Amino acid sequence: MKTVIDAHNISKVYNRKTIPVYAVNNVHLHLERGEFTALVGPSGSGKTTLLNLIGGLDKPDEGNIFINGVDITNLSSNELINFRLRNIGFVFQSFNLIPVLTAKENVEFIMQLQKMNKRDRGERVDKLFKEIGLEDKLNERPSKLSGGQQQRVAVARALASKPQFVLADEPTANLDSIAASNLLDIMVRLNKEENITFLFSTHDQRVIDRARRVITLVDGKIISDSANVATNTMHPTN
Amino acid sequence: MIFTMAWRNIWRNKMRSIVIMLSIAIGLFAGIAVLALYKGMMDARIRTAIDAEVGHVQLHDINFKKDYEPKYFVTNGEHVLHEISKISGIKLTTSRSITNGMLATATGSAGVQINGVIAEQEYKASQLKNKIIEGKLFDNTKKNQVMIGKKLADKMKLKTGSKLVLTFTDTSGSIVSGAFRVVAIYQSVNAPLDERNVYVTMKEMNTLLTIGQSFHEIVVLLNNDEDLQEVQQQLKQKFPSYKIETWKEISPETDLLVKTTDQFSYILISIIMFALAFGIINTMLMAVLERTREIGMMIALGTTKVKIFLLVLLETILLTLAGTPVGILIGWLVSNYFNKHGLDLSGMGKEMMSSFGYSTIIYPEFPTDKFFGVILIVFITSIISCLFPAIKALRLLPVEALRR
Ligand SMILES: Nc1ncnc2c1ncn2[C@@H]1O[C@H](COP(=O)(O)OP(=O)(O)OP(=O)(O)O)[C@@H](O)[C@H]1O
Ligand SMILES: [Mg+2]
Repeated sequence: MKTVIDAHNISKVYNRKTIPVYAVNNVHLHLERGEFTALVGPSGSGKTTLLNLIGGLDKPDEGNIFINGVDITNLSSNELINFRLRNIGFVFQSFNLIPVLTAKENVEFIMQLQKMNKRDRGERVDKLFKEIGLEDKLNERPSKLSGGQQQRVAVARALASKPQFVLADEPTANLDSIAASNLLDIMVRLNKEENITFLFSTHDQRVIDRARRVITLVDGKIISDSANVATNTMHPTN
Repeated sequence: MIFTMAWRNIWRNKMRSIVIMLSIAIGLFAGIAVLALYKGMMDARIRTAIDAEVGHVQLHDINFKKDYEPKYFVTNGEHVLHEISKISGIKLTTSRSITNGMLATATGSAGVQINGVIAEQEYKASQLKNKIIEGKLFDNTKKNQVMIGKKLADKMKLKTGSKLVLTFTDTSGSIVSGAFRVVAIYQSVNAPLDERNVYVTMKEMNTLLTIGQSFHEIVVLLNNDEDLQEVQQQLKQKFPSYKIETWKEISPETDLLVKTTDQFSYILISIIMFALAFGIINTMLMAVLERTREIGMMIALGTTKVKIFLLVLLETILLTLAGTPVGILIGWLVSNYFNKHGLDLSGMGKEMMSSFGYSTIIYPEFPTDKFFGVILIVFITSIISCLFPAIKALRLLPVEALRR
């Protein structure tokens, strides 16, 4: 088992000078390659904040975060941009795609930032769109795609850079149940077949049910971290 | 890909893009219009100074211009004239006898410069013939004819046929005077000169001055303005003991005016560019703020700040590129139209224009020489104005941008 995320003692405090809000409070988090983990908790419990810290979009006030052995809390903001590009895939809740680029260009954009050559890009685009089942939508602009299709393209884009893991903040929040379950199917399959590591936050019980590990946050603290019995008996960990 | 994005972003908000494009076009057009107008005015002013006032080059006795004393005529004048005519590039020459004196009528008097001229040559050298608005040309068979300017005629209540007396001193210092009859009234675009200069025939003038066949001034007109320095140099070499001046030296106010107007036009252009800059800053800032989430997301995904900066810069440059030909085209069409038909500025005050020696009809000229400068200024302005929005964009924090 290879450790990809190792967060020690991390805290993030807002309004330190007035009424401090511990958005993330002394959290330890350890994630191994191939995990499929849900982050759950009531609204305001700190899910987004925690994902932002792990994703290198924000810096913790205390503690250290190691991604693949690299302490990202010591990186400058320019180093972080490059680190994110090479190591982390992101899926946001909504408005994920660049509206002026086609589905294909959105995915290619990341690979171009990574300076991947044209042939490799082409091959990877074909493979990814096959996996998300949108081969026929390659040249559509995001506005021509349904919400579910957009999120699938966002997943393809997150994978385009061959990241260490994919962070998804409420990826299904804006989707109807069929689109949500489609997206989950794709994520589960990528996890099983390609051993892609996923860490996602959600409110949705049906999504929680598909996770193999569930971490519950309340007021910025982890109050439970357990293997999901139902899922694990269905898909034993490899 | 950044280029593709910039290009497509322009079409996202067509109205806004068209507004920026048009302001750039208008900025460019305004710049060209100002330059064209000034170039037209200045060229006209210089042409008037050369063709209707002082000529290209003048030759005098070294001492003559100090006090306009009649005894300082051009020695060996005929020989000098003959030598000058051998220089290549010369269109025409003429000579004048000049003195300062007083013009008197039954009701009043005025100080004037009396020019004794050779009629046929003077008609061409200072376009005196074309300036005549009333009366007839000098008649060889008649005596004591004088031509006066409109301004002076109005002031002294003189008409054609009116009698007047000119009084001045001759070479020996004795006061002489002669009675003249107004044969014609002329009017140029330069009212102060019209008020001051009166013309009589050289023959009569020389008799009164007792200087025989001599004269005080040689005026040289060239075929090409560019030969000015060259011809002045040649003349100075040939006639080192005379005073040889170009129109720039004779009429330094014209030269100065041209130079200050140049500066003034740059100040005007700066003001136009300032307005343009504000427009661009405003619109590009709106474009950036509207896309906060999108730009934040791009940074989150790993887009470098350089690329974000480049995106905003490229969008502005593309808009400038689109606006430039439109502005140039309008500028070219408008200045060419008025170059043909003339732009009547008499609304600005005919009096004012003519007291500065300007014609009220201006023929603006497309400023070919300064044209690339203007394009460059517009480009620099638009690039500088997009710096602020661009910096704003790359400073966006992805966490905050995405939270919106
Ligand atoms: N920029 C900020 N300034 C001040 N307080 C903040 C800021 N961002 C988050 N918070 C606070 O931190 C706490 C955690 O917020 P966070 O968005 O991480 O919660 P969440 O679990 O993602 O909630 P939700 O389920 O609604 O998305 C909340 O109390 C929130 O008000
Ligand atoms: Mg959240």
